[in-house]
Amino acid sequence: MSLNKNNILFYFLIYVSISVCAQEGRKEEKDSILTENLDEVVVTATRTIRQLSSLPLPVTLIGKEQLQQTGVTRLDQILNEQTGIIMTPDATIGGGEGVQIQGIASDYVLILIDGVPVVGRSSGNLDLSRFAIGNIKQIEIVKGPSSSLFGSEALGGVINIITEKPTSENISGQVSHRAATFNDQNTNLSLNQRFDKIGYSVFADRLSTDGFDLAPSDEGQTVNPFYNYTFNGRFFADITENLDVFVSGRYFFQEFDVQPSTSEEKDANVLLRINHDASKKTNLQYEFYYTNYTTDEQVIDPIDDQLLIANDFDQKLFRPEIRFNHSFNPNNTLTIGAGYNFENLNRSLFSETITFNSQYVFAQYDFKPLEKLNIIAGARFDNHSEYNSQLSPKISAKYDVTSNFSIKGSVGSGFKAPDFRQLYLDFTNAAGGGYSVFGKEVEATGIQRLQENDEIATLQVDPSQLGQSLDAESSIGYNLGFTYKKGALSSEVNFFRNDFENLIDTRILAAKTNGQNVFGYINRESVYTQGAEIDIKYTISKNLNLSAGYQLLYAFDKEKEEAFENGDVFGRNQETLETVRLQREDYFGLENRSRHTLNFKAFYEIPEWDINANLRVVYRSRFGLADRNGNNLLDELDNSFVDGYALVNLAFGKTFLEHYSLQLGVNNLLDFKGTNPLAAQDSEVLINPGIQLFTRLNIQF
Amino acid sequence: MKNLIKLSSLLLFFIAFVSCSDDDENTTAEFTVTAISAESGAVGTEITITGTNFPSNTSDINLTFGGANATITSVTSTQIVTTVPSGATTGSVTVVVDGVTKNVTTDFTVLSDLVSARAENIFAPQTGGQGTQEEASGPFTKFSFATGAVTDSDTEWDIAFRGLTIIVNGGTTTGTNDEPERNGNSGAAIEEGIFSEITDTSGIEFAQDANGELAIPTGSNNGWYNYNFMTTTVTPIPGKILIFRTHDGKFAKIEILSYYKDAPSDITQEVAENDFRYYTFNYVYNPNEGETSLAN
Repeated sequence: MSLNKNNILFYFLIYVSISVCAQEGRKEEKDSILTENLDEVVVTATRTIRQLSSLPLPVTLIGKEQLQQTGVTRLDQILNEQTGIIMTPDATIGGGEGVQIQGIASDYVLILIDGVPVVGRSSGNLDLSRFAIGNIKQIEIVKGPSSSLFGSEALGGVINIITEKPTSENISGQVSHRAATFNDQNTNLSLNQRFDKIGYSVFADRLSTDGFDLAPSDEGQTVNPFYNYTFNGRFFADITENLDVFVSGRYFFQEFDVQPSTSEEKDANVLLRINHDASKKTNLQYEFYYTNYTTDEQVIDPIDDQLLIANDFDQKLFRPEIRFNHSFNPNNTLTIGAGYNFENLNRSLFSETITFNSQYVFAQYDFKPLEKLNIIAGARFDNHSEYNSQLSPKISAKYDVTSNFSIKGSVGSGFKAPDFRQLYLDFTNAAGGGYSVFGKEVEATGIQRLQENDEIATLQVDPSQLGQSLDAESSIGYNLGFTYKKGALSSEVNFFRNDFENLIDTRILAAKTNGQNVFGYINRESVYTQGAEIDIKYTISKNLNLSAGYQLLYAFDKEKEEAFENGDVFGRNQETLETVRLQREDYFGLENRSRHTLNFKAFYEIPEWDINANLRVVYRSRFGLADRNGNNLLDELDNSFVDGYALVNLAFGKTFLEHYSLQLGVNNLLDFKGTNPLAAQDSEVLINPGIQLFTRLNIQF
Repeated sequence: MKNLIKLSSLLLFFIAFVSCSDDDENTTAEFTVTAISAESGAVGTEITITGTNFPSNTSDINLTFGGANATITSVTSTQIVTTVPSGATTGSVTVVVDGVTKNVTTDFTVLSDLVSARAENIFAPQTGGQGTQEEASGPFTKFSFATGAVTDSDTEWDIAFRGLTIIVNGGTTTGTNDEPERNGNSGAAIEEGIFSEITDTSGIEFAQDANGELAIPTGSNNGWYNYNFMTTTVTPIPGKILIFRTHDGKFAKIEILSYYKDAPSDITQEVAENDFRYYTFNYVYNPNEGETSLAN
């Protein structure tokens, strides 16, 4: 592996130097595709710079102003206020939160920082509160599958966090401190400076909290006290007029206070990007990215100091990538890219360190066959060492019917590689009753081992099926949208449908002699999510902006729908306890999906007083957490529904003496707490910790 | 041939007699009885007798099942619909019209009624097992469908419970501690559906206990129940109907309603921790030898 890495590095360097030599002396004239001359531009949708309103895809952009005025400091807080995006609590009590886009769970949403992927998912979920948003220029969210550009995991959407670039020769930056309920203390510092040829940017952030408890009668807290640090240093250099270099290093460290146990998390990433304008029309980007995510978790019995569980996780990814952009003219751009993923994971629940290798190529052509028609067509091929290769095509188009009204549509496919856990987990839960879980690659040997120890009572699957390789989970996403803009009003309606195939589910492989089961993984489920999103923005005056969003969502499992049609779904009458046959209308759909979600935002400014205020409301309708009557689906007879609720957030800001701004705010003004229906009788478990106040002082310099 | 001639002449004579003696509308030919829709049935079972020339008025017909008068629901010239009357005994079914008596050729067997009942709080204690360091042990609670109760009999039991495990009195030892000797021919099958919709056992294949393998498998989502780790509750899987062949070859079906004492509709933490291993189930038992019907 290291040999390969060196080779590729070597060739890249040779190639870079040749290109640099060849292009020497070329006169400055910035390439059209990389010129940022418009206010709202995004890079995630096409991997080239594109004006937001011109894109044929559903894209949400959260700008710096919104980030600042709302007073939020972590990524999860701001995403929840966007149309079609909600943060959902984990179904199990005390779990984390996951982002859901168009009804698609967080496992299928790719998170990027400056275009490179973040790794480190504990059981599929990526904790978004890990990401401080102090030095962020904007957050871009592309909904629907984008695997044609980004590969695995980009099924439901891509969230790209774009950091700020220094622009001024004077040192600029800010220091801020935010204090909030639960002794939440968040301090950050950022510094930026830009000279003629070089620039740098430094960011440091510290967050600590006492955490909170949603289940007061249970031992321990839902969120334990923790502190974390984020450091980010970036360096920009224009080597020549046509060649610039960007280097970024980010380090995140978090430790939970769970004495005498320990729980630590580290996330480090390094990015080197060389951008070379080989000609007026041609641009090349060379990217080297390394990331390492580790957790170190030890659960120690507080009484006898015995180590109960040690769960270490150490994931590394190294990824060189090259991209080539060529503009035949300002409206026709070809993008070609190739890369190599070297990935490995060492986890205490795996028998050995696992290595994945994958190679990929992608191409995209962005063109305008007619003056009013823009088409973007692309495809990506991923070749993987552990599962079947994937081809992910995508096509999208936008047609401007009038200057105010356009139609846009896209069809694309996405995939998610089976994760390490689904392939290599070898786990027997001694504390939880002795059940076992095996990843696909180790299930045959695992079962054999248990059989030799006489632990298997009955095998529930055909032995020849053991170890048959898993396919990647895949989806096809359809989006059809209409945008209308006139004067102060801009509105957008988007209809979506996402069909998922081959979702990986657990199944029982065998019954053990201790009465427990052995679980394995299998490609089984086919689900779909469909619905519509409506977004309306209205600028009442220069100082008052209103926006509202709504999402209608239907998310169901196709096989279960079929079982309903066949009359094969049963429930239990809650009074008589007798079995009743359930009808299709009793099927609520996938867990944790709300049929209706709404948001409303009002941002108000009084420039003469240097005051701003905003009100944001998010609502989600009733949703269910889990099957409780044993038929393996969520139906109206399951006692696991959370009633619809609204969260109201308010923030006020005032700037003094130009540089000092003070913010006061309330999140969850109505003090909504809710009750978790899965809580055991006589002990209440909350959905939300309730009202949270904050104040923030920011010094800009 | 001789008989035929005799019969024909008798018929001729009869016709002549009838036509002479009766000059009004009652000129129908003598009735015949050709078939009965079932040769057995319990009291209340609907029975159709087919034949020819039945009178159109139900009051003109006297129908008995083993001597007990049956009420006629409806009649056409070819069909009498009735139900097996209470007090009926196994024997001949007789139709009398105008003093002429005809028997259905085969005897009718009156069956015992199906037993449809609920067994409540069948306590199935167990020592050791899941969550403990010891193997599961302790005597099984044996149940007899014939008596509808728990039994101590070593032979007259059909199924038995211990904790979440259900065994049948048929097959071989499975290897668990303290299991009773299997000396009957019990078997079990799990069917999907609504309890009342499973009306017959014909075509169902029955399994018996074997070494390391139970006819009703244990484990969450394997057999009759789901176990929820979060709430530590056992829920019978809806739509799982257990069909049994009893130790003496009769049939029964059960639907387990609850694993908790007094079958509460809401299983609280306290109930989940203290009042478990109490089976409540609905069952239908057919006490008639060889009868597969479980329609209740």
